[in-house]
Amino acid sequence: MNINAAKARSLLYANIRNYFSERGYLEVETPTLSPDLIPEATIDNFGTTFINEFQGSREMYMIPSPEIFIKKLLASGSGSVFEISKCFRNCEQLGQSHNPEFTMLEYYTVGFDEKDSIALTQDMIRKTALSCCPASVLEDFEILSVRDAMIRYAKVDIDELQNPRDLRKAAQDLGLPIPGPESWDDTFNRIFINFVETSISKDHPVCLTDYPKQIECLAKASGNYRRRWELYIGGLEVANCYLEETDKEIAKDYYRREYQKLLSLRSDNGKVIPDVDDSFCETLSKLPKCSGVAIGLDRLLMVESDAKDIDDVLLFPFSQMIGH
Amino acid sequence: MIKAGQIDKGTALLIKGQPFICVEREFVNPGKGSAFVRLKLKSPTTGQVLQETIKSQDSVEDINVEQMDYQYMYNDGENFHMMNVDTYDQFEVPMANFEGYELLMKDGETYRCTVYNDEILDIQIPSKVVYLVAEAEEAIKGDTVQGATKFVTTETGLRVRVPIFIKQGEKIRVNTETKEYLERVNN
Repeated sequence: MNINAAKARSLLYANIRNYFSERGYLEVETPTLSPDLIPEATIDNFGTTFINEFQGSREMYMIPSPEIFIKKLLASGSGSVFEISKCFRNCEQLGQSHNPEFTMLEYYTVGFDEKDSIALTQDMIRKTALSCCPASVLEDFEILSVRDAMIRYAKVDIDELQNPRDLRKAAQDLGLPIPGPESWDDTFNRIFINFVETSISKDHPVCLTDYPKQIECLAKASGNYRRRWELYIGGLEVANCYLEETDKEIAKDYYRREYQKLLSLRSDNGKVIPDVDDSFCETLSKLPKCSGVAIGLDRLLMVESDAKDIDDVLLFPFSQMIGH
Repeated sequence: MIKAGQIDKGTALLIKGQPFICVEREFVNPGKGSAFVRLKLKSPTTGQVLQETIKSQDSVEDINVEQMDYQYMYNDGENFHMMNVDTYDQFEVPMANFEGYELLMKDGETYRCTVYNDEILDIQIPSKVVYLVAEAEEAIKGDTVQGATKFVTTETGLRVRVPIFIKQGEKIRVNTETKEYLERVNN
């Protein structure tokens, strides 16, 4: 058990709480057990059962992020909020950069767009950093659009390759084997993972902005892209940010398509299929203009303490508990 | 055929007609994307190394290998000499394809091997192994800058950083992946 890692975590949390409290954000605590989730086909869930012996039982789900509850708060007029929350994601690798139960910091700023959130995140990481934090973590963010990153590292201009067939041809020209027809975003990810994620700088944080609109999520779209970014520190994906979608019809459409995708991926392999409730889209339409950031705190601790494995910053790594 | 997500360290695959062994495997999930697996594959015959990142759902051609026990007899600087403990057949395995294994394998010890077409593709070394301390430096008194550690050399020639209380002739348990000291073993 790594008590020093626990001390570092305790200090980092205290710094983060001070940082947001001083700036008027309300710290909230929302449930980790929910009767429904936002459909996300690529995030596998944990399910459990609430048992009431006399009045009926029901399926419940461990949240993969506190987003669903925080957005309800924002829609009800809470103002800017932050939360340090346990989150749960199933079917991922144990160790290295994943633990099925992990800790997320989410902060939502009313009136901000995703670009304002970049400046806030840079400032927050610098002002809350542990004294042992390597200088490379505190360097200025390199801000690079996904389109430019794909041009720089894979010599592929995705603006010119919006048709799945054309993108597939480009991937094959790069030497990537593709077994058969697949969606545009699957091919995009093949190129991204092989050429971009392995090439981005580890000497300073890199903020990749404007992801392709074909990668569906609840961030607002603009042209071929979505107004969101992901932050990489030391090559490790640490944070994700949206300009939040507030259009009810677009959100409903997302729910419908994403749930279908989720069903087709999970119907025959025993994976958890969570209940979804699209009345949440009404809630989204009441959101003020805001931008939300989610930071994996275990990963932030890893880069700040120069740990190579997530197990090094956890007191009870999941992999050790189940004997892997 | 198997799904890429089923590949683990030690899985044998056939790539363009050549057998490859997976030596490193990492799952990667791009933000909001489907799951991928990043593989480092090595050809035990040519030493060629391939890096591939493919979707966990992609199918890849695996090969039917046998798991057999071989006794490690010695090395001649170029080859490991191994003997099948059931048939007593002897095999030479190029050391260049198993870099650093000479520091981990103990003469006379039996290892489980992955065999394909009468060829040893992989030698499986347990993740934790007990070694005899063949040589130990004298610890310098008062030197606590390094957290009070020193180097010892095992009977196989592996240098390991250990706490200063470890003496020559004692036994230590070592993590063979990281080459790190785990604990002293009492006889």
